[in-house]
Amino acid sequence: MSWRRRNATCVACTVLLLACAFSLAAQTIERAEALWKAHDYDGANAAFKALVAAQPKNALARVRWGNLFYERFNAAEAGKLYEEALGIDPKNAPALLGEAQILADNYDPKANDLANKALESDPKLYQAHELMAKTALEDDNPKKADSEADAALAIQSDALEAIAVKASIDLLADKQSPWVAKIGNRGKGYETIAHFYMINRRYEDTIQYLHKAIAATPDLWSAHSELGINLMRLGREGEARQELQAAYDNHFRDSVTANALTLMDSYNKFVTTETPTTALRLNKKEADALRPYFQEEMQRAMATYEKKYKFKLNKPVQVEVYPDHEDFAVRTQGLPGLGALGVTFDNYIAMDSPSGRPPGEFHWASTLWHEMSHVYVIAMTNDRVPRWFTEGLAVHEETAASPDWGDRVSPEILAAIRDKKLLPIAEIDRGFVHPTYPAQVIVSYYEAGKICDFIVQKWGDQKILDMIHEFAKNRPTVDVIKEQLGMEPEAFDKEFLAMIDKETGKAVAGFADWTKQVREISQLAKEGKNDEVIAKGRAIEGNYPDYVEAGNVYNFVAEACLTKGDKACAMDEWGRYSKIGGRDPETMKKYAKLLQDAGKLKEAEAALERMNFIYPIDPELHERLGNMLMQTGDAKGAVREFQVLVALHPIDAAGSHYNLAKAFQAAGQKDQAREEAVNALEAAPNYKPAQKLLLEVSGDEK
Amino acid sequence: MASPAQMGCGLKFLPVLLVLALTPAFASTYIVTVAGLGGEPDYEQRFTMLANDVDKILRTGGQTDRIVETLKGPDATRVKVEAALNKVAGQAKAQDAFVLMMIGHGTFDGMEYKFNLPGPDISGAELAALLNKIPAGRQLVVDMTSASGGAVNALKKDNRTIITATKSGSEKNATVFARFWVEALRDPAADADKNEVISALEAFQYAEKKTAQFYSEQKHLATEHSQVDDQQHAAAFPLLRFGSAAAVANDPAKRDLVAKREDIENKIDALKYQKSLMAPDDYKRQLTQLLIELAKAQEAIDK
Repeated sequence: MSWRRRNATCVACTVLLLACAFSLAAQTIERAEALWKAHDYDGANAAFKALVAAQPKNALARVRWGNLFYERFNAAEAGKLYEEALGIDPKNAPALLGEAQILADNYDPKANDLANKALESDPKLYQAHELMAKTALEDDNPKKADSEADAALAIQSDALEAIAVKASIDLLADKQSPWVAKIGNRGKGYETIAHFYMINRRYEDTIQYLHKAIAATPDLWSAHSELGINLMRLGREGEARQELQAAYDNHFRDSVTANALTLMDSYNKFVTTETPTTALRLNKKEADALRPYFQEEMQRAMATYEKKYKFKLNKPVQVEVYPDHEDFAVRTQGLPGLGALGVTFDNYIAMDSPSGRPPGEFHWASTLWHEMSHVYVIAMTNDRVPRWFTEGLAVHEETAASPDWGDRVSPEILAAIRDKKLLPIAEIDRGFVHPTYPAQVIVSYYEAGKICDFIVQKWGDQKILDMIHEFAKNRPTVDVIKEQLGMEPEAFDKEFLAMIDKETGKAVAGFADWTKQVREISQLAKEGKNDEVIAKGRAIEGNYPDYVEAGNVYNFVAEACLTKGDKACAMDEWGRYSKIGGRDPETMKKYAKLLQDAGKLKEAEAALERMNFIYPIDPELHERLGNMLMQTGDAKGAVREFQVLVALHPIDAAGSHYNLAKAFQAAGQKDQAREEAVNALEAAPNYKPAQKLLLEVSGDEK
Repeated sequence: MASPAQMGCGLKFLPVLLVLALTPAFASTYIVTVAGLGGEPDYEQRFTMLANDVDKILRTGGQTDRIVETLKGPDATRVKVEAALNKVAGQAKAQDAFVLMMIGHGTFDGMEYKFNLPGPDISGAELAALLNKIPAGRQLVVDMTSASGGAVNALKKDNRTIITATKSGSEKNATVFARFWVEALRDPAADADKNEVISALEAFQYAEKKTAQFYSEQKHLATEHSQVDDQQHAAAFPLLRFGSAAAVANDPAKRDLVAKREDIENKIDALKYQKSLMAPDDYKRQLTQLLIELAKAQEAIDK
């Protein structure tokens, strides 16, 4: 991220050279820039504003003003000014470069198009070559990156970013690089190297090079901020705060720095529970409710992966769970890819809390297992693993843990398959870093996951392990595919796509018709034509069984069954919905009730237990599950559920303490039962069942 | 009735217990529910359904002390609302209670609140004039419409508790409070103090919490903030009795036992008030002892 946030100075240099051509403007621009340099940003802004008002046709002034905004962390305003400059002078090279830079900051592949346009306007604009060198290296295309860096150096022999890219190419391949020495005392060059380490998830190396950047240029505040962020990622919070604060105090106050400091201030609202192998940081307001489930899943995932990957971690895994998505977002800012639910930095995992998203939208356990897989793969390869493989394996592990976990095939994915947008395995990393269409990151996760499924199906789990060990040697994807799978990447793609076609062909081909028919079913449901809803729904649900989101066929059919009074039919339908991965809590609660009424208590329990992995902060869920566990004689399970219920501070406080007291009593824990009965009665002294229970468990005092 | 513990105010609320104890158990409660104009089929259906639910809940349980009237759909006109309230005004006595529940849309133009009805609307001031004619000594208005907070000033009166779905007239979006208010009337969990009586305050707190939870879960900005103008009176306003509480309330022979029980309850309330000043173990020991005494007293009542 670093070079993206700080590149305005390079753009500024270009503009200064061109400024000579505009002597009248230059004097004012210089004045504005003098203020800018003196950190009088308001003064500089006012000077630029006055200049643009006086000279409305001065494109250069707008570009320069835009650069001020860009450097002061306001890309939106900068972009507007570049656009205005291009309105005056459509071929203005610095404006095109400025726009390219903003796009590159967001990993938008269109940045290259604009950089090329800038070069058409000014073939000597070596910074455009530098930008393209960086985006190529981000795409894991060192050959193109090297060639673009050479092009920049041919124009400007000491072009710093080009040198840094060439150094990064060597260093990422674990080679000594003669280019590092050429950076000399120019801190920004080391900062660029750190950026490439960071996007390759090599955080210790990132930190090392940011230290070098600061040693070379102590007032490079962007590097201080970046160092703080990366130290925070690895849990070194004391050092992180120092660096972030230094950046902030020296006017480097972008949202990343400010938000990171705010987040660190909020850590006193969190509580950490440690075991010899884990540390779990939860917000105090939900810690008691989430802890039992998170801890159990952390231990279960670690035991599974330890066996599967034949590898034992040598340090504890820390999981941080954020109820406020914005806090979590601080952890992922500047990283390429989705990072929408969880993120892993070596042995540190940060993720959304189930309370951070609407019920049913987020399978937290699936995300936790996904991230835990990263911890192992990153440790086993010492961070040397292509993005597609670690993400694909993590996606594979979600459904390996339980088939109803993980994400279902979404309409966007079907559309991508239909439009033949899945990338060849040799290029798949590009889909994660520089997506060319909005859903490409999601499609790339799906594709990478399916590739790992395919490898496991055809070659077995051991092959995945062999590939991990090969990647650990810093081998490129193409070589690993050839050697480990014994086939050319193109041949692999062909076989893989055949499998995808077998799995999804029917849904892809029939998607348009399926959509039309779902609309018809919806209309039939509104008209109360239940028999037709059931017949039509059952006829088409197999065409796209993965669709379990709002407006799914399973629900239309089940509701129609219920309206007809046919509970068995509804149960059957929601059984399929649950098995395929449907996760709407209200639907699942209705399904569990039907099962319970039909005397299928164990199945009802299982249906509700599934919801603990999705939305465990629903008091009703724990009350119902706890009561069911009491009925089936699982007092220990009931204690857990009612303890969580109490922790959620339900409306019925007395009732929840009473339930817990009953569960303790059933589990033979008389003292705890008594204490909970007293807690229930403290809230509601006249609560008769609790009074009766208190007298029962009070022994001699009675 | 909510105990002082639920309201978090300790002894300050002891008079509430007294108020309730002195409330004539055999007085009548007149309840008028009005589901106003939906405007759109979805709202029309929702409002009518909620009014039907309220009506059904109030008429269940065979309590003869409740006189219920529900106006909904095309029947919820201003003329019929006026007629219903005038009828109560003609029948109710000073010892009776009166409840008006309003479901639907409301508007507030900065000066005047209006409850939207089929045909002409009715303003807050007009409603107040009708309510003022009702002699019932305890009144409760539950205005669950959008902008209902704008009605408070017009409706305010001694011995009239006002609950609104919004904190002011400027919260103009359709509300969800009514849905949870109705849920409170049928969910035993709303009876927070487990005395088998759902008080107006308990129903309010239930609906308030569920409404907040609704917006939080959906990750939507909350566009309504319910309020009650007088918690003390709301706590002393029994909305629904169920189970043995209904029978006890109707049985003069149990009054002495109930008084003994209330004496222990008062001691428990006093102890809770001292909680922060006591050593935790000592508090727990004394509380447990009193709770055991109370449990035994209750056993005697139930024999």
